[in-house]
Amino acid sequence: MLDILRYGVILSFCFTFIILCSMVFKTYHFNKKKTYSLPQGNGLKGIIYALGRGLAPWEKESAVKHLPTYLAGIFYHIGIFAALYYLFSLVIPFHFGTLIAMIIRISIFTGILCGIGLFVKRSLKPHIRRISCPDDFASNLLVDGFLILALIDTYRGDLRAVLFAVAIILLLYIPVGKIRHCFFFFYSRILFGFFFGRRGVLPQKLGDSRSNHG
Amino acid sequence: MAKIAKITPDDCQKALDIFKKRLNSDYTAFLHSCVRCGLCADSCHYYLSNPEMESMPAYKLNLIAKVFKKYFTLTGKKMSRWVGAEKFDRQLVEEWIDSLFGRCTLCGRCSLNCTMGINIPYIIRTARGALAEVGLVPPGLQSTVDTALKTGNNMGISKEDWMETVEWLEGELQQEVGDPNAKLPVDKKGAKYLYTINPREAMFFPLSISAVGKIFYATNESWTFSSDNFDVTNYGLYSGDDEAAGIMSRRLINSVKELECQSLILAECGHGFNSNRWEAPEWLNRKYDFEVKSIIQVIGDYIRGSRIQLDPSMHQKVVTLHDPCNLVRLGGLIEEQRYILKHAVTHFVEMTPNREKNYCCGGGGGQLAMTRFAERRIASGKIKADQVIQTGAEVVVTPCHNCIDQFMELNKHYKLGIEIKTISEIVADALVIPKKTV
Repeated sequence: MLDILRYGVILSFCFTFIILCSMVFKTYHFNKKKTYSLPQGNGLKGIIYALGRGLAPWEKESAVKHLPTYLAGIFYHIGIFAALYYLFSLVIPFHFGTLIAMIIRISIFTGILCGIGLFVKRSLKPHIRRISCPDDFASNLLVDGFLILALIDTYRGDLRAVLFAVAIILLLYIPVGKIRHCFFFFYSRILFGFFFGRRGVLPQKLGDSRSNHG
Repeated sequence: MAKIAKITPDDCQKALDIFKKRLNSDYTAFLHSCVRCGLCADSCHYYLSNPEMESMPAYKLNLIAKVFKKYFTLTGKKMSRWVGAEKFDRQLVEEWIDSLFGRCTLCGRCSLNCTMGINIPYIIRTARGALAEVGLVPPGLQSTVDTALKTGNNMGISKEDWMETVEWLEGELQQEVGDPNAKLPVDKKGAKYLYTINPREAMFFPLSISAVGKIFYATNESWTFSSDNFDVTNYGLYSGDDEAAGIMSRRLINSVKELECQSLILAECGHGFNSNRWEAPEWLNRKYDFEVKSIIQVIGDYIRGSRIQLDPSMHQKVVTLHDPCNLVRLGGLIEEQRYILKHAVTHFVEMTPNREKNYCCGGGGGQLAMTRFAERRIASGKIKADQVIQTGAEVVVTPCHNCIDQFMELNKHYKLGIEIKTISEIVADALVIPKKTV
């Protein structure tokens, strides 16, 4: 049974990966945006910024103003990646040392707390709740469930079949709802960096005086 | 609005068709990306001045994403309620008009603050374009576009009136510089620069035209106005109507070609710069074989090349700078205006935040033309008014006439007690003109 589920995880991962790739490919069914204007800056530098320094909380006022939420988001995603890493260590399988095991446990545990925190925030903040749809809540709960099962599995393996089953559901659900942003995030950031990069807006030139007195 | 009451399912379908036509791979990717985290809310001056949900950038984007999902994604078609997809009907059209036209200046501040990096203003503009197709652009904005298409400029200034204005300003310039040969050339073939203006300058702010004339005079520049196509503005950018926007931009290209100029020089106009420098080549599907620059870049070059001399002591008051969103955040012209001001005034103070992180003044996005949203526009400018007060500045300089108009209203409403000037006016006042020997 466990072996079947293990193959199920691999297959659902491959299936989802293909579907996500096809979704990205499908965006090209719409017009391809061509750029005729002469660049003023460097699109590539913009992309590097968007995927690097531009993600730092101090680069965005929205992150500075909502630091707990921003950090919760960061740690939530670290927890998810740690849990996925752990899942694949079971599926493929491969081994890691006790230090990495500890880091994985801490990351997943923190991720669970942050995930629940974000769920509570979405439920309680009227404006966020109003722009949310059932998928927003379901996606969060599904991921939280996966994280909890992964954490339990790091201590005791008797729920492994449930972990695999939930992982299959999660992986298959990714293209359906908002979790697809795991793929589109990079696409969006690249487009963002290219846009502001070629216009010479980002990255900001070093040495700019950002202070009050010029 | 009577037009909304008459909207038919056919109209909705027509708008949807245009929406689909205008959507491109980039915007589609963005529409897949929003996670509705709401972190963008505080980046919007509308939301900051009045925290209504409808002013949240995520809410505005979601209005569009709902339609995108419903008609262009499998899950949206099959599981509408679950993924928040919604039919494009009259009620949603009303919401689109109120939020996408009435609560957004397309300033792009939300985009910069979006965790995903979604280009929200450009998606909103695409949706505006769909509404434009079925005649649902708010009347003031649409009539500005129509006037420009019909008469060649957004104020409907006739060629005769334009020529009279130039003649009058030329006389003023000759008096000011004490040189009867000082010229404001029109239709001068082979001039290096074709200079455009915002028609509001001709109607209400002629001093900013004289200021540029004086600067060109001081450098002995080879330049000209066009008697036909002199309007730098392009409200097609705001209505979302690519065809109309393309027609307006093509006129300027035609004049550059007819007059055999080397460069198109854009007046101090934020959206005019974004339109003609960045967007027009995309609207027209062509690369330009001539240079498109802002007058600010030209003035900056003059200072660097010592072609003009400035006496900053002419400006003793505390001066601050407002960064027009279309010129700075969306246009990439960030440091030149600062460089000029540091040479032209004695006491320059930055607003906080500034440059690409600046707050919109509230005058962009076609808001000044949409009187029905005027109250909201003035309220949204509170953030900017507070910023100005914090600097303690007596003069606000901004290289954009939409911003100037908004600042004039903010000045009155929030009792700021400031003078509002363009970069050219500041430079012209500080200009040291050596006597010309004939």
